[in-house]
Amino acid sequence: MIKKMIKQWFHDRFDVEGLKKPLEKQLTKPLPQHISWFHTLGSMSLFLFVSQVLTGMLLLFYYRPTVDEAFESVKYIMTVANKGWLYRQIHAWGANLMIAIVFLHMLRTFVTGSFKRPRELTWVVGVLLFIMTCIFGFTGYLLPWNQLAYWATTVGTEVAGAVPFIGEFTKTMLRGGSSVGGETLSRFFVCHVILLPWALFFLILFHLFLVRYQGMSTMEAVGEEKEDKDPKEAVPFFPDHVLKEGVVWFFMMGLLVTLSVLSPFDLGEKADPLSTPHAIKPEWYFLPLYHVLKYFPKLVGIFVVSLAPAFLILWPFFDRSKERHPLKRPISITIGILVILSLLFFGILGYVSESKQTIFGKVYEFDIYGIPHQVLNHPSS
Amino acid sequence: MQTLGCAINKLVKRPINVTFFFLVLCLGFILASGQRPCQAETLAESSCVECHSDIADETKGSIHSQQAISCHHCHGGDPTKEDQDLAMSPEAGYIGVPDKRQIAERCGACHADVETMNFYGIRTDQLARYKTSHHGKKLLLEGDTRVAVCSDCHGYHTVLPVGDPASPVYPLNLPKTCNKCHGNEKLMAGYNLPSDIFKTYESSVHGKALFEKKDLSVANCASCHGSHGAVPPGVKDVATTCGKCHVNERKYFLESVHAKAHAEGKFSECISCHGNHGVQKPTPVLYEEACVKCHEPGSQAAGEGLKIHEALRKANEEFEEAEGLVRQASIEGIFVEDESALLEVAKSDLVSMAPLQHTLSTEKISGLETNISSKVGEINASIQNKRENLKRRKLMLIPIWIFVFIMSAALLGKYHELRHKKKKGNG
Repeated sequence: MIKKMIKQWFHDRFDVEGLKKPLEKQLTKPLPQHISWFHTLGSMSLFLFVSQVLTGMLLLFYYRPTVDEAFESVKYIMTVANKGWLYRQIHAWGANLMIAIVFLHMLRTFVTGSFKRPRELTWVVGVLLFIMTCIFGFTGYLLPWNQLAYWATTVGTEVAGAVPFIGEFTKTMLRGGSSVGGETLSRFFVCHVILLPWALFFLILFHLFLVRYQGMSTMEAVGEEKEDKDPKEAVPFFPDHVLKEGVVWFFMMGLLVTLSVLSPFDLGEKADPLSTPHAIKPEWYFLPLYHVLKYFPKLVGIFVVSLAPAFLILWPFFDRSKERHPLKRPISITIGILVILSLLFFGILGYVSESKQTIFGKVYEFDIYGIPHQVLNHPSS
Repeated sequence: MQTLGCAINKLVKRPINVTFFFLVLCLGFILASGQRPCQAETLAESSCVECHSDIADETKGSIHSQQAISCHHCHGGDPTKEDQDLAMSPEAGYIGVPDKRQIAERCGACHADVETMNFYGIRTDQLARYKTSHHGKKLLLEGDTRVAVCSDCHGYHTVLPVGDPASPVYPLNLPKTCNKCHGNEKLMAGYNLPSDIFKTYESSVHGKALFEKKDLSVANCASCHGSHGAVPPGVKDVATTCGKCHVNERKYFLESVHAKAHAEGKFSECISCHGNHGVQKPTPVLYEEACVKCHEPGSQAAGEGLKIHEALRKANEEFEEAEGLVRQASIEGIFVEDESALLEVAKSDLVSMAPLQHTLSTEKISGLETNISSKVGEINASIQNKRENLKRRKLMLIPIWIFVFIMSAALLGKYHELRHKKKKGNG
């Protein structure tokens, strides 16, 4: 009865049937045959974005973005606030997983050639989403105002300062002064909780619109795509594919809680601008680029490193072959594999650099470039 | 007037000249005011250097040389005379190598003179104190020249300021300096004194702090015996001597039952239990060893001692256990700020127990021990609670994953059902 009344109320005011039709068309639109579990990476990223927004809002109930209170408020969240430890850890793990999943989603798109005509714009928006996710990570990393965050931000903004012409301006704008301090915290906070979420939200909407509007890519070569002959046999987006995505969402939820409980992030020590810790390193997702910077003079390094996102954005305009199947695109797939391997290689070098590691019972000291030197007089050698 | 103006202008234009001008002016004022310490001739002007250049070199780093105190201030004579016989004649006051008595007098001539030493801000009672010391009495009253005089401790041609780490009387070097004589078995036998005090001191809590930790504030020979007025502290003075540093211990001791015995001269306040030169870091075990030196084992007094011993041991053990627990919890990633604060409260009680035990009041000691015990209990309970909480979180993962699997199975089931229906419908 009430349902009927509500329905009628809307019918009286809106052209519900007119709105319903395109929506239903989008929902039941059949997906290509090759759709697999890898195609849920996009919705996994969306799930993580939603999770970040929700846990972020919970954190905002207690978090205070000032130099005096930031660290203490995060500690309060972790120790006193009801289930504060859980949503803080889910937020921290979610941030890391989101970067990994968005990257994997991008990798899947690259391997299946989905970025090719006519979906170049979807790819460009996707890369922008990935870059923004990384900026999300960078701005959020400072907010707990602990030693690692403070010094990683100092180094990060210093790198930005080395860019010719606009470097000094960019650095001062990011920091809100000559050094990382209260102004930086305020700026990063505003970016992290207002500017970036809305920007990401609208970009995601645009990305999803493009995906739905242009439909999912098939594995056929550009210009040779075939519509599914029998729509009855094809997998409709709703409810069939959404059910699969639901499975992935539950799995992600379980994974987030498990990681939060079994491997929680430490808060560390409160930021101290007067005590520089040894071997300052950025978060893992910036490590490969940060390590590459070490091998070049400052300006050349920044130029080399800034080529990576530029190439990523412009890739659909370089790779203009019509083939989508990975086995039919040996050159681009080889380039992709080399990029992944170099990211892993420089990431590992960056991780072990300026540290001592025991390998097969021998102690090695890794210098700033990640080159191992055996410690001969170490007691455990 | 114009000429003077020109001269000033020229001087101002040449800053080095201006500096030199003011230096000369200052020197003129000093000379005119007659403030010269001991009216010194500089070493360079002294004719002594012509023959004794080696000694002159030796004195270069000394504090006296820096202050223009020259040879004749200690040895007499007239260094302005070129002729050796005139310069070293008895008429010129030449005394050659001063004997020990003369050393005390010569040093005292300046160092006991307020007007002279006021310039340096150094005290002037060293000679007066020396005269009251065993060293001074033996030398000045009995003519015993084997005892120490100024130069035996401070050196002679190379006297350095006390604060100079190379000085033999610098706190780190002082015990070794005293040991030059007090470690001489043959010499000490003559005075019926032990010659192994340095070794005993070296292994004591004070000696270890001085030599191993380089803690200059710790008690050395002079801290207890005095320096210039060195005497062994008598039975009644020991407490005052130790109490200079151990203020609270002394305060609480005066509340104890031993204070009366001490007043009657029957009990040597600190050394009866702790010893003197070989004093070790006190542990509760001292109650088992020291009380029975005077009290019958099993007596009420010895029993009281054992009660204090037990309270101290318990407090120490409980504190160490809590400390370990907090450290371990911190390693496990548990926030232990509140527990650390409680631990600090317990620690301050434990620290207070050390001086308080000198009251020998079992009631007071037990009171502190109960406080520590209660704080340790709170720490244990709090950490236990946090660990339980972590355990509960881990256990909660089981129902969460059961829920995830059920939901996933349900969704997958529905998916396959839909696919099956579709295929059947098509078929």
